[in-house]
Amino acid sequence: MLGYTEKMRDIAGRLLKECTVDMVIGFRKGTMPMMNEPCFVTKPEDVQWLVWDSNCGINLANYLTNRKEKIAVFAKGCDSRNIVTHIIENKIKRDQVTIIGVPCTGMIDKRKITGLVTGEILEVSETENTIKVKTADAETLLDKNEVLQQNCALCVHRNPVIFDEMVAEPVEEQTDIDRNADIRKIEEMDSEEKWQFFEDLLRPCIRCYACRNACPLCYCPTCFVDEAKPQWVGKGQDPVDVRTFHFLRAYHCAGRCTDCGACERACPVGINMRLLTRKLEKDCQDQFGWEAGLSLDQPPALVAYQANDPDAFIK
Amino acid sequence: MTLVKIEKKNWAEGLTAAADAYRLFGPVKEKDYHQFKELEKGEMPDFEMVNTRLSPKALLFPQSEEMLEYSLDESQDDHHIMKEIARDDTPRAVVGIRPCDAKSTLLVKLNFDTPDVKDPYWLNAYRAATFIGMACDTPLSTCFCTTAGCGPYHEEGLDMLVMEQGDAYLAKILSDKGKAFADAAGWQAASDDAAAFEAGRQAAEDRIVSTVKTDNLAETDLLELHGAPFWEDIAFSCINCGTCTFSCPTCWCFDIQDEVHGKSGVRMKNWDSCMFPIFTAHTTGHNPRDTKTQRVRQRFMHKLKYFVDKYEAGIMCVGCGRCVRQCPVNIDIRRVCEQMNSFKPADACAVEG
Amino acid sequence: MEYMGIERDRLHMSWVSSAEATKFIDVVTRVTEAVRALGPNQHYVKQKAKVA
Repeated sequence: MLGYTEKMRDIAGRLLKECTVDMVIGFRKGTMPMMNEPCFVTKPEDVQWLVWDSNCGINLANYLTNRKEKIAVFAKGCDSRNIVTHIIENKIKRDQVTIIGVPCTGMIDKRKITGLVTGEILEVSETENTIKVKTADAETLLDKNEVLQQNCALCVHRNPVIFDEMVAEPVEEQTDIDRNADIRKIEEMDSEEKWQFFEDLLRPCIRCYACRNACPLCYCPTCFVDEAKPQWVGKGQDPVDVRTFHFLRAYHCAGRCTDCGACERACPVGINMRLLTRKLEKDCQDQFGWEAGLSLDQPPALVAYQANDPDAFIK
Repeated sequence: MTLVKIEKKNWAEGLTAAADAYRLFGPVKEKDYHQFKELEKGEMPDFEMVNTRLSPKALLFPQSEEMLEYSLDESQDDHHIMKEIARDDTPRAVVGIRPCDAKSTLLVKLNFDTPDVKDPYWLNAYRAATFIGMACDTPLSTCFCTTAGCGPYHEEGLDMLVMEQGDAYLAKILSDKGKAFADAAGWQAASDDAAAFEAGRQAAEDRIVSTVKTDNLAETDLLELHGAPFWEDIAFSCINCGTCTFSCPTCWCFDIQDEVHGKSGVRMKNWDSCMFPIFTAHTTGHNPRDTKTQRVRQRFMHKLKYFVDKYEAGIMCVGCGRCVRQCPVNIDIRRVCEQMNSFKPADACAVEG
Repeated sequence: MEYMGIERDRLHMSWVSSAEATKFIDVVTRVTEAVRALGPNQHYVKQKAKVA
């Protein structure tokens, strides 16, 4: 993905010059190692700020919701699937977006890398397959595949599923990926163990809602946790209320989540809430053969009824 | 000001002795991160931390705090009457608080303790607290305390400042509360090594690599700054989560909620965040800060302009760097401060001409 | 619900027509027996707000 930046600037500059779009949404270099900041560019001379590397994990589909301009957006595999979902759910019009596809070899996991080295990380650089981490005392060379975000390591749609042009040739898709090993482990627990597992998982939550707000699916004008009339959920730190937020949010993403990992990446206290959304993703796959955001023509699993939908739960 | 030397081998013993008179709080590692917690009997604060994930503000200003309780049961004589909830305001000591976090309590105090309004919940907890600071010899690259009115050995807000010196700690007693804590812990061995403190401070300050400039903020015209052209760009990436405000030691906003369970109810206060759209939503449905850009501008204008103008006590930030490190989309207050501080309103004549 | 730790037998779903009185009785009997066997629910019950 290292050569992408120049190509992206070329494409963005051309689209702006030709007035094909009013703005281009991409990333600019962050002020911290392993961080880039989503940004928009409206003038051809500003495309020099655009960058691309393995720290572009935020899902840019999130920045398209209800926008009125003509927009070009850079889209990894997961982003493109969320753009499909956005178009199906009328959050943006297809002819309003120019999708610039970005074949992706995965984003790196900031937390994992921080845990692998001693001392504060001052600089991180990368080649195609390696990540070099610099602290005050040492330099560590890591294999990129070993430090991917988990959702990227498990990804089977690295190439955009919808695009108007591509930044590069498609990358090879990963095959023989077992996406659900950790989910099955939870499924095998008994009820009490499950309860305790999630109690422990969600305990650090401070209800900052970074997971919800980083998610392109969570675009409700007023989220159920913010509703006051009626008030569905208590606003305090009671574990029942915290859990209600996480469970219901996951349900609201059922059949829509593309496992882009933005929620987990955004969480300031390191909660893997994807263990909830991925269970629903697994159920959708097992029961309806459905994967979200792959095509504009297919009705989503929870919207369509089919005579052979499983109904064994109705007694 | 007295200096006391504490051999490291006597440290635990001293804290255990102090625990008879104080509830002790300190940084402990939970899962991946350090947080301030009430220490169990015999548990020691863990100084193998750079800084806690959340600031210790929750010790005085809990994320959720019950204030009042009431009964809706009309067979009770005191139904529908708000009653105080019994609180534990016995002496407590926060051991291992960083100087930046200690300074932040004084900024928060400006809000909770004014001539007109005194918040009893915060103030009672504050009065009960003794702050035993741990000097910061290994600041992070994102720490900009020295240019945010603070520093790694800063003493404001502390009752005692402790620095590490080989096999011992050197403690500077800064107040009567600090003296009382040292007495309770049995730390009496006087030291005259003031030079060590000064050297430690100098060395730590030299390790601060990050700075902000705030010299023009007070003079810049408020409305011009409010209307500056950069807000849209700064706010674009913001997802309006509460990470920055919740991790910030100086953010003090809260919301009051009633929760009723059956026939009994409590009135509680919860942290709130100016990043949330409902923060300013009126009952009419109107929301004066309806857009993301307005909310992001509010956060930075409050910290770096309104507060500066109102209290003349510098910026509402101690440079701890938590929001810089934790923001999911890398909005960096240092970069915003730079833009605000270097902002030159367009020449009025030029605009009119 | 089962995945998050609520016992499987606490939640039942049936399709009963207004003409199926016998089925209705069967369902209610089966549900109450199953829930009684589990005993009172311990989880996901908010007694009074627990705060820090």
